[in-house]
Amino acid sequence: MSRLRHWLLIAILVSAIGPASTVAAQSSSLVRSDRPASSSVPAEVLVVLAKEEAGEIDPQLKKLTALRRPPFNSFRSMKILSRPKVTLTPGKDALVSLPNGRRVKLTLLRVMPDGRYKVRAAINRPDKADYLPLLQVVASAGDPFFVAGQAYQGGTLVVGVIVDPQKNAK
Amino acid sequence: MQSPKAQDEQLQLLFDGELAPEEEAVVRRRLEGSEEELAQLGQWEQLRAAMKSASAEWAGELDSDTLFARIEAEIGAPAEATPLESQPPQEAVIVKPTPLRAVPGRQERRVWAAVATGFAAAAAVLLAVVAWPSGPSGPSVDGASAVRGSEVVEVDFGSNTGTIFEVEGGAGESLAVVWIDEEEVAIP
Repeated sequence: MSRLRHWLLIAILVSAIGPASTVAAQSSSLVRSDRPASSSVPAEVLVVLAKEEAGEIDPQLKKLTALRRPPFNSFRSMKILSRPKVTLTPGKDALVSLPNGRRVKLTLLRVMPDGRYKVRAAINRPDKADYLPLLQVVASAGDPFFVAGQAYQGGTLVVGVIVDPQKNAK
Repeated sequence: MQSPKAQDEQLQLLFDGELAPEEEAVVRRRLEGSEEELAQLGQWEQLRAAMKSASAEWAGELDSDTLFARIEAEIGAPAEATPLESQPPQEAVIVKPTPLRAVPGRQERRVWAAVATGFAAAAAVLLAVVAWPSGPSGPSVDGASAVRGSEVVEVDFGSNTGTIFEVEGGAGESLAVVWIDEEEVAIP
């Protein structure tokens, strides 16, 4: 009986050591649980010119209710300038040109265990780092993230990125 | 050239042994020229080894009989104290710490069964908690049905200043907005 008790205690200790060694690697619990993306995924980049002047809201944007909420609710007109589709391939940059001469660079980094995509984005003029050097986002399929604030033609550019737009399309 | 964050993630994946062979080769080549990263890796290895060693030593030195006897005594105490309720409190205090080893064998087995059941339940809960997020049969593996929205993990505004917002999407999900104000740039 004594030996049995001893090994029972050791088993409990060993089970406790597993999580503890994960802590040793700082945020390793997050890193170890996701995996590098292994296949390409489609994405869409929405380039919108938003202005505070009264005007039309592009009908294609009506489904994107987020654009009617703060901080976008000060805009009273929105026009889609372009809506290019790209393919995000792990480790390979996808480039989308913006009307102000900058480029959006998108890279698929990982697919998280919960199915979300980890994406790296940058918006700069070619060979410069003059606007947004680095942005890393996790986004679920079909749900956008936005980068806004670039001044253009009296308005503001709102750039939306939707990874895997066919899934959960709203 | 990778960002420090990306390099750190790679280093952690290497430490966890989760890099593909070709990626591992690349990272190891990089480590040859980075004393800082080598030192970091060495610290993690030392920490892991120290934790394992300490736990093994502790397990070896642990007087499991004494510990279990204490557990048994704590579990068994209320049952023994019950018939003493009508007696003066001083006598109850004297009787309560009686170790379970003095309890007849049938009751000892019953207590042991309760202890074993408790440990089994605790182990099951621990296993469920540890395995659930990364298990292949998890409810959200194949899609974003469980987790919706987008969020910023890291941002570098460079020489600009910016703000990160969360805006509610059509399904109530939280969507990330990065806002960087700037003057209009001249098209080259």
